[in-house]
Amino acid sequence: MMLECRELTKWFGSKEAVADLTLNLDKGKIYGLLGENGSGKTTWMKMVAGLTKPGRGEILYEGHPIGWRDKAKIAYMATEPFFYDFMKVSDVGEYYEAFFEDFDRRKYTETVSAMGLEPGMKVRNLSSGMSAKLKLAATLSRNAELYLLDEPLNGIDYKAREEIIGLILEEANGENTFVISTHLLEEVESFIEYAIFIKDGHLADKVNLESERMKSGRSLTELYTDIL
Amino acid sequence: MGKLIKYELRKQRTSRMVIFIALAVALVCFWAGIAFNSGGLAGISIAAMMLGAVFVLFYTGIEGILVFNRDLRTKQSYMLWMLPRSIWEILGAKFISAILQMLIVFGVSCAAVAVSTAGAVLTIGGLSEFLEMIRTMSKSFVQGGLDWGDLISMAFLMFLVWTLVIMTGFLAVILARTVLIKSRFVGLLAVLLFFVIDFAVARVYDLMCMIPFVEAANRVEALGWSVWDVIYYVIVCLALFGVSGVLAEKKLSV
Repeated sequence: MMLECRELTKWFGSKEAVADLTLNLDKGKIYGLLGENGSGKTTWMKMVAGLTKPGRGEILYEGHPIGWRDKAKIAYMATEPFFYDFMKVSDVGEYYEAFFEDFDRRKYTETVSAMGLEPGMKVRNLSSGMSAKLKLAATLSRNAELYLLDEPLNGIDYKAREEIIGLILEEANGENTFVISTHLLEEVESFIEYAIFIKDGHLADKVNLESERMKSGRSLTELYTDIL
Repeated sequence: MGKLIKYELRKQRTSRMVIFIALAVALVCFWAGIAFNSGGLAGISIAAMMLGAVFVLFYTGIEGILVFNRDLRTKQSYMLWMLPRSIWEILGAKFISAILQMLIVFGVSCAAVAVSTAGAVLTIGGLSEFLEMIRTMSKSFVQGGLDWGDLISMAFLMFLVWTLVIMTGFLAVILARTVLIKSRFVGLLAVLLFFVIDFAVARVYDLMCMIPFVEAANRVEALGWSVWDVIYYVIVCLALFGVSGVLAEKKLSV
């Protein structure tokens, strides 16, 4: 077991964003994290990434309570732009290289170039699509054990989506684990192995898509509609 | 920690540049005053530099607290808190860079004032008068009961007191972003907390001064403080850092 979340709970005021969520992730799998807006997907990811403290419950990473050292093995990509305003595209690579030992600078340079980003471009001047590409390039240029991608296809044009999915599949080597939060079910159906359905902060279901297809023949969209 | 400090200092680079440009303008005005024999312009320029040195010391300290607050409120906070670094290292880097920023701008401002003063004396009065001024100043320090050691320790105490203010500000921000996060008036509460902590630190200091052996301690006459003051401020700084770290470790969400 790579990651175990036990009765994970997080309140924001009186709202229970994540409620008694117990969820296990295995090594080498690609998970789709699915649910409506405000269902608790981002909060769960942020707790695993160490950005948000759980109100109750615990997270175990490779058998031990998750701590700051584990951030060296977990690559988190937030939905919103989060790079410092003063940075250029090349500075982002320099920053990641300085703080993450698993960062591959050469791969980053190649990826940003393939995505049409110039090293001298200022982060604050990038369009939302370009900014999303930059976040992905930085995150996927790490050789992490666990990737948490929060809506990686948001704001990305159709052609670039294909490139990004290609990048993810290139990175997924059976040794690392991907959790991809998304609303674009058709885009991810072909490559995610498990779908985790979250509703009102609770785990509604965790489905092995291959088994489900064999058993009931339902598509991801149908499963989504039935479960949520 | 060096890498963290490097990026923290970059966050305040713009204000540093603005201060340096303002300082350069004041220097140019000062030398223009000297060159064109305008005592008024030179006097105003050097006064502005001296006042500016004190102002930037306070401003950069407050700015450090504001940057910290921004780092906890915006999405850019992820850049710092997603790093595989302990909370102590991150907070330590923030404290050190806030202090460094103050020292850099204050140091450069003081150097500008010193260079201008020395240059003016040399230009107007010549080398012998400048050396005489140095001698007179040194003599007055000794006659006043002060030596260079006292001056250095006074600067150290000032540094500690201002460090204490910054640490109080950092703790107030952390309290606002953790235990008070649900409050509607979190910003106002943070400011109030700052003054409450500051008040409490001053009251405890007064109580400490009533302890007989502290009261009887050998005080530096002209400054009115003893080694116990230094010990007290160091302990309070460490305590504030400790409380900030524990709160951040247990409660902080960005």
